[in-house]
Amino acid sequence: MQRKFIQIAGLIWTLVYASIIVWIYATVPRSFKEVATNTQIAAGIYEINQERFNNGLTLFRRDQFRAARDEWAGADPAQRDPRTQFYIAYACYREGWGRVYDDDALFKQGLETVNRAISLAPNGTLVVDDPNLQMHTAAELKTELEEGTETSWNDLNPVKLFRKRK
Amino acid sequence: MKNYANRNQALLHFIVLPTILLTVGLLGGLRIDAQTGKFIFIAPPLVTLVLAILLGSLFVRAGAIDLHRWLDIEQPTLTNVSHLLTLLALFFASAQAFNSVLPETGLLHWMFSFFFLWTLWTNQFSAFDARRLLKSLIVLFATAFVLKHLVVAGLNAPEGGWIRKLASTLLQGIAIDVPAFAPITGYVSFFALALYVLGLLLLTPVPVRPDSSAVNNLAVREDALAELDQSAE
Repeated sequence: MQRKFIQIAGLIWTLVYASIIVWIYATVPRSFKEVATNTQIAAGIYEINQERFNNGLTLFRRDQFRAARDEWAGADPAQRDPRTQFYIAYACYREGWGRVYDDDALFKQGLETVNRAISLAPNGTLVVDDPNLQMHTAAELKTELEEGTETSWNDLNPVKLFRKRK
Repeated sequence: MKNYANRNQALLHFIVLPTILLTVGLLGGLRIDAQTGKFIFIAPPLVTLVLAILLGSLFVRAGAIDLHRWLDIEQPTLTNVSHLLTLLALFFASAQAFNSVLPETGLLHWMFSFFFLWTLWTNQFSAFDARRLLKSLIVLFATAFVLKHLVVAGLNAPEGGWIRKLASTLLQGIAIDVPAFAPITGYVSFFALALYVLGLLLLTPVPVRPDSSAVNNLAVREDALAELDQSAE
């Protein structure tokens, strides 16, 4: 009886441990902290660091976009929160925006991030009610970033010099 | 007294052994980045799976695992499932033990792979017993460990030293494009290999059945006698 109990316990333990190993190799955590974050995601209890998110928002409103992005990256290390990802993409847009030309690298980074935000949002629709922003949906931001990375004859239009950053 | 022995045997067989083998599976692919100190998990390359199959075949041929007794139709399903999981854990532990001592990329990766393949293939046709096989494997893994984690890693060491000078001389003219890892990677690999050898030591050719050690011994003796008869003929 006792042997059977040990056998069943061993079987369950082996399956659980093997699953953990497969999961580790599938998620490829880079540190113990990431292991903890991935565990929280798997358990469905992952939450962003609200304090760091607010710090990022304050920096964003002061036009310190790079610092804001760093704060938000720290607030959402697993890149699982659509709202935070939206703000990171917005910071890329605002920093990369130029009256004459846009920063391609930042716009591409922004595009990747906003695509991530859209994929994370329920039904793929993300609306952020922030009166300080001029674009409130991820779709609008995505369009703006896409237009910035595309090359067209419209880039030579002198009227473009009078456009405003959103 | 006998109860304790049975219980401990069961614990060793059904919990400790799979845990050891799975831990090898976990640590065998772990590297630590030299610059950032972050984890890098490298899944076993295809060649290590081939090597693990060859090694598994060697275990069976050398009698280190009696497959018919590990998976027996007359055993309860639970026992068979449990044994199957242990054998699978052994397979992945073997693959990860190879992964641990194989250089990750470049010419050296293929050279090491070729030498492992050559050794295991030629061993398939040699007369081995379980003890000899274990000794041979310890030497094989120890050599690969020294070459990878001391000689090749010595080439990437910033402070240099005699290992670097020796390795530079030995490998002069060969392009070494192996990624540099933190020295702790060597310790992880050493621990993984030590656990693997411990797992092999704990692995019995015939799984011990409850209250039937005498019967098992007789069964093994019968096999040995049959082999002796065959060799005498």
